[in-house]
Amino acid sequence: MSSVKKIADILVERIGAILIGKDQEIRLALACLFARGHLLIEDLPGMGKTTLAQTLAAALGLSYTRIQFTSDLLPADIVGVSVYDRDNGSFEFHPGPVFSQVVLADEINRTTPKTQSALLEAMSEGQVSVEGETRQLPQPFFVIATQNPATQSGTFPLPESQLDRFLMRIKLGYPDPVAERQLLSGDDPRKKLKNLKASINEATLEQIQAKVSGVKAAESLIDYIQRLLQQTRTLPQLDNGISPRGGMALLQCARAWALMDGRQYVIPEDVQACLEPVCGHRLSGAANDQEVISLIQQILNSVDII
Amino acid sequence: MQPTWQTPRPALLWMLISVVTALALHAGHLPLWLLGAAALTVLWQIQVYRGAWQHPARFIKVLLTLLCFGGVLSSYGRLLGLEPMVALLVSGFLLKLLEIHHRRDALVLIYLAYFIVIIQCLFEQGIVTGFVVVFGVMIVTAALAGLYQNNQNTQNKQTNRSGKLGTWFRPFRSSAVIIVQSLPLMLVLFIVMPRIGALWAVPKEQGSGVVGVSDSMSPGDFSDLGGSSKVAFRVEFEGDIPAQSTLYWRGLVFSDFNGRRWSQSGSWGYQDGSLLQWYGEKPEPWDRQATRRGDALSYKVTLEATNSPWLFALATPKPTSQDVALTRDFRLFSKRPLSSKTQYRVNSWLDYDLETGGLSSWRRKIELALPEGFNPKTRAIAEQWRQESPDPVALLNRLLKLYNKEFIYTLKPPLLGKHTVDEFLWETKRGFCEFYASSFVFFARAAGIPARVVVGYQGGERHPSEDYLLVHQYDAHAWAEVWLEGRGWIRVDPTAAVAPERIEMSFADLFGENEDFLAESLLSLERYRHINWLNNLRLRLDALDYAWAKWVLGYENVQTDLLTGILGRLDPLRVGLFLLAAGALAMLPVAIMSLLGREKKYRDELDKFFIQFCQRMERAGIARRPGEGPRDFAARIESLRPDLADQVSSLTGLFEQQRYNTAVLNKRDLRLKLRRFRPYLRSKIP
Repeated sequence: MSSVKKIADILVERIGAILIGKDQEIRLALACLFARGHLLIEDLPGMGKTTLAQTLAAALGLSYTRIQFTSDLLPADIVGVSVYDRDNGSFEFHPGPVFSQVVLADEINRTTPKTQSALLEAMSEGQVSVEGETRQLPQPFFVIATQNPATQSGTFPLPESQLDRFLMRIKLGYPDPVAERQLLSGDDPRKKLKNLKASINEATLEQIQAKVSGVKAAESLIDYIQRLLQQTRTLPQLDNGISPRGGMALLQCARAWALMDGRQYVIPEDVQACLEPVCGHRLSGAANDQEVISLIQQILNSVDII
Repeated sequence: MQPTWQTPRPALLWMLISVVTALALHAGHLPLWLLGAAALTVLWQIQVYRGAWQHPARFIKVLLTLLCFGGVLSSYGRLLGLEPMVALLVSGFLLKLLEIHHRRDALVLIYLAYFIVIIQCLFEQGIVTGFVVVFGVMIVTAALAGLYQNNQNTQNKQTNRSGKLGTWFRPFRSSAVIIVQSLPLMLVLFIVMPRIGALWAVPKEQGSGVVGVSDSMSPGDFSDLGGSSKVAFRVEFEGDIPAQSTLYWRGLVFSDFNGRRWSQSGSWGYQDGSLLQWYGEKPEPWDRQATRRGDALSYKVTLEATNSPWLFALATPKPTSQDVALTRDFRLFSKRPLSSKTQYRVNSWLDYDLETGGLSSWRRKIELALPEGFNPKTRAIAEQWRQESPDPVALLNRLLKLYNKEFIYTLKPPLLGKHTVDEFLWETKRGFCEFYASSFVFFARAAGIPARVVVGYQGGERHPSEDYLLVHQYDAHAWAEVWLEGRGWIRVDPTAAVAPERIEMSFADLFGENEDFLAESLLSLERYRHINWLNNLRLRLDALDYAWAKWVLGYENVQTDLLTGILGRLDPLRVGLFLLAAGALAMLPVAIMSLLGREKKYRDELDKFFIQFCQRMERAGIARRPGEGPRDFAARIESLRPDLADQVSSLTGLFEQQRYNTAVLNKRDLRLKLRRFRPYLRSKIP
């Protein structure tokens, strides 16, 4: 399946030209998309969250809308509203920004839980219910939410149950010195974005998504994943371990990751690459994110592959 | 007091079951009101748990405590003694159930439950009791396990989704596993642990309901010898079982007659040394008066509890067990009253002479004493006979002939008045062994022949398949011994003169069809011995019971020989080391099983191969980090030692393909391929 690998490499290269020095994160975002999951990007403002989302949408040739979440945003502002049409004498539905293939929910933790949950319903069901009518969202439907770290003031942190709806959470972090110099010396990346052409079309994306489930996970690999999950449940520093749903998400991401690496089977390295993005936001109880990351590293170091 | 701790539901259930089990075990010897109180406390605890009722207030608890004390006192009339103490303990146990506020209270209750369950062994030690007690311990352990299960629940919520019934039964399952795992250790401790004598004696009810030979005999007082089918003792002979007619198991010798009752003569009468000659100590002077001829008959007797110290043996015995003494009248005597099944070994010489050297005057006085004012007719006739035939043997034969001609053996003789011997000999002429022995000895003494009554058992039932003799309570018998000049003491069984078949056949064979025989025990299997399969069943059960007595209860007697056989010599160091070694050996299977349970992973050839590869790399200075995948490891090796790259990538590639991709090679090919790598794995990396 080198074709998927080729496509992935091209995508990473093109997006990487705009979002410089973040190849690993771009790959993870792609894996998340191929695994039909939604992505949460958590970082401080100005780290390129929006750029990543926009570039992804453009490179994949998908329709794209952006919702800027604010504290006074209402659910209707997302899903849409029926307006009385005087000419027809009837209500006409005006779809909200959620009716798009890629939705960038910018700063999702700035809005109230009520509005947050309107989006989250769309994410889990692939449909929205407006005024008693269920409307299908376009396919593929991919939400990229960004959020500022909850420690900042004026935020409504997402509860654990809703964090669970995101397949992955990634952090962009500061660029490394080389990338940063390149960034400073070059043009504004947003200008380049306008020239970016779609590398694949919808049909190809759907094919790739379909292939992910066919990637083989051998018995000993399943066993490895299970032991990793078990380990998260026995750590005293954590209140809760990874749920079985989290475990399935991990396996699905590892499959997508393996496929992007040109393999039809999952190896432990795929699981290890996905563990932190998939499980980081699902583990709670630790004091802060830094601690969660070190715990995950500890788990990886204590569970052997055989 | 506010309850701050809630008993976990399964623990409560099992605690209540433990309470019921402990009570049920002791139900036989607890007063009825205590069982009612148990039901009440259990109900109370359930209601408290449901939140319907309150824990009892302090003054109610004080009141209940006093009530229990009073109840025990009024039921037994005293507080000392085993049964009142157990009743007191049980009432405290029940009251504790009413005040479980913390885990420690529940623990106290559970530990008490262990104690109460095990106390049952003081009352009974049969095979069924053994198993029931182990089962009780299992239930109490389940309560203990349930008490700690809650913690486990919070720890791994995910694994704990078994059904509702599962949560209730999990404590019992873990308890059963614990007990089964500890079985080997129990066995080792049982076999090796030296038996330490009782540190304290448990006062048990004297003679409560135990039938057997009593320490006196008064023929004519009770007139119904129904016979009990209970086993008196079992005997295992080293050789063949002697003929039925020689099996006279001597228990007690009665020389003292007060006109109504025969009893042992007071010890004050004897003047030649101590009355008891303990096994292992030097013989008393009177031991010389016994001449034992020929080979000894060796046997082992397992006596049921009698609560008296008398032991039974064939004449003339010599004990070969600790704490058993030979008495002045050549019977056996135990150091302690037998409160439980006891085993002892004896050597007997069936060919013997006793006191042939003549009776000293004080001995003669004891064996000729007759009470004044009783049985004048017998005394007169005896005097008359003596004048007619001065030879004592002829005189006694004449008396036996009289018995044979005119007397009838019956289990239901008429009651006798003041002159028991007169009435029996010359009027009623009906009776059983005691009547014959009593009248015979009286007559002999009246005719100037020293004589005494001996009671014990006669005969026994041969177990058809197991090689032992079964002596029942209905084999109890009384006979006479007369002393003849130059011949010493001679056994005479006047009953044999009346009913010789009584001696030659077993008692049960003789009276088995009789309505009156065993009339009191309708349910006794013995009663149905003429039904063949039931009789077989009875004998089977008896063999099982005997095996239990011999190997479990009486293990002490075998232990020393067994251990000496294994260890050569018994000293604390050897026994201790053997205990440790055997304990370790016994726990080994358990350890292996639990290890196997944990290590039952995919340690197949491929994994071993990969581990070997990792070890080789480790020797070369590149150790695989825990959790490092094969591909990452290979990449790291490549960056550190580019010269190894080819081999390493082909190795890890094979592993990865085989392990995580669809297995490319079948088992045989894989083995071949792995073999090809072997020399490489063994070689040293420069």
